[in-house]
Amino acid sequence: MTTADLARSTIVMVVVLAVQNTLLDGVRVAGAHPDAMLLLPMAAGYVAGPDRGAGFGFAAGLLADLFLPTTFGLSALVGCLVGYGTGLATRGLVRSSWWLPLIAAAGATAVGLSMYAILGAVLGEPGALRTDLVPALVVATPAAVVLATPVVRMVTWAMPPVTSGRGASVGAGSR
Amino acid sequence: MARTRRARRPRLTIGLLVLASITIITLDYRGDAHGAISSLKNTANDAFSPVQHAVDAVTRPIGSFLAGAFNGGELQQENEKLRDEVAQLQRQTLAEQATQNALRALDALNHLTWTPGIPTVAAQVIDLNPSNFAATVELNVGTANGVAPGMPVVGGAGLVGHVTATASTTCTVLLITDAGADSPVGVRFGPASADVGLTQGAGIGKPLTVTDITPGAPLHKGEILTTSGLQNAAYPALIPVARITGFSSTPSATEESVTAVPLADLSQLEYVDVLQWPPAP
Repeated sequence: MTTADLARSTIVMVVVLAVQNTLLDGVRVAGAHPDAMLLLPMAAGYVAGPDRGAGFGFAAGLLADLFLPTTFGLSALVGCLVGYGTGLATRGLVRSSWWLPLIAAAGATAVGLSMYAILGAVLGEPGALRTDLVPALVVATPAAVVLATPVVRMVTWAMPPVTSGRGASVGAGSR
Repeated sequence: MARTRRARRPRLTIGLLVLASITIITLDYRGDAHGAISSLKNTANDAFSPVQHAVDAVTRPIGSFLAGAFNGGELQQENEKLRDEVAQLQRQTLAEQATQNALRALDALNHLTWTPGIPTVAAQVIDLNPSNFAATVELNVGTANGVAPGMPVVGGAGLVGHVTATASTTCTVLLITDAGADSPVGVRFGPASADVGLTQGAGIGKPLTVTDITPGAPLHKGEILTTSGLQNAAYPALIPVARITGFSSTPSATEESVTAVPLADLSQLEYVDVLQWPPAP
């Protein structure tokens, strides 16, 4: 990763965080709201593969954790697993399909929120699994489909595909 | 060989990142690095605050529009101000009722504290429920305004919650509806305010349950629960908390099943007061 990539990645994370904290947190249905920060690792895994997806997801999660009241490091753990999982699950699939990132976003959000709730319950917050998960899934999963395209485009700008020594691109994303 | 190394690299990366995450979670959970993490969060909040305010100024109208679209078009700024004024008057009325009830029963022997004697810091809610898994709000006041962790927060017609974390210009408030272990509130009720119970949140937007109430306790629908102010309580006495909406019991039950709705409209908070009341150590 070059310095320019790092700078672009930081810009994307801060912009998405600002939009999340100021705009999306206010869009509440049944107490839940969309979660754009969870889309960042998904998009990174989709665009750049499992390795870089995990790293990007970890960094985005750690940034999100700074502004969340929940246990520090929880979003980082979920983020790196979501980035890695999305990279693995979408590796080798045809990237020209317009619906692929949308499906990936819905799946990654559902899995990510479930992991978050389970880990929260393990860490002594049973309400995360018992009462908070269902509204979060109902609201954030469809919202992820709507937000997927702009987030994937931003992450594609931040993490251009790496060209391997043999001339093939690794984890090429949809532009 | 080189191909095998390339294939192993993602697994090594994810392994290291998972390990790093678990280490951070453990340090925070055990409290070993609480000071460092709090300091990091405070610095991040302070650094991000200007960006948040700038973006907020641009996006708030959009957010209000979207929130209005999802909430039946109720969110007009004028209505919010009026609702806040009405709620404050309602809070005063309820507080007077609660005071009269308590004075009749307890008089001066109970050393009652009461919010008019407690200095307050007016605050605006700048972020509602930043996490889907914790009922919290962010306020635009912090340590620079004299706000400290543990201080009670009131808004609308009653208790909102208490401050759990502070930065220099912002703070986080855990709402009484949070389902976690830190949100329960000791409450009083009954004709002489002599009966006590404990509220338990059930998540954002859901009613409270009230526990530790013996079967046959003098309960009435619509009755106001106020903070108990018992020794070592997290809140001063007689702050209106919730209104009883239902109660039931079975012959074999060891306690009454009681539900109550918070008096403060926690889904529409705009302005609140932080009481500069330190909880007992």
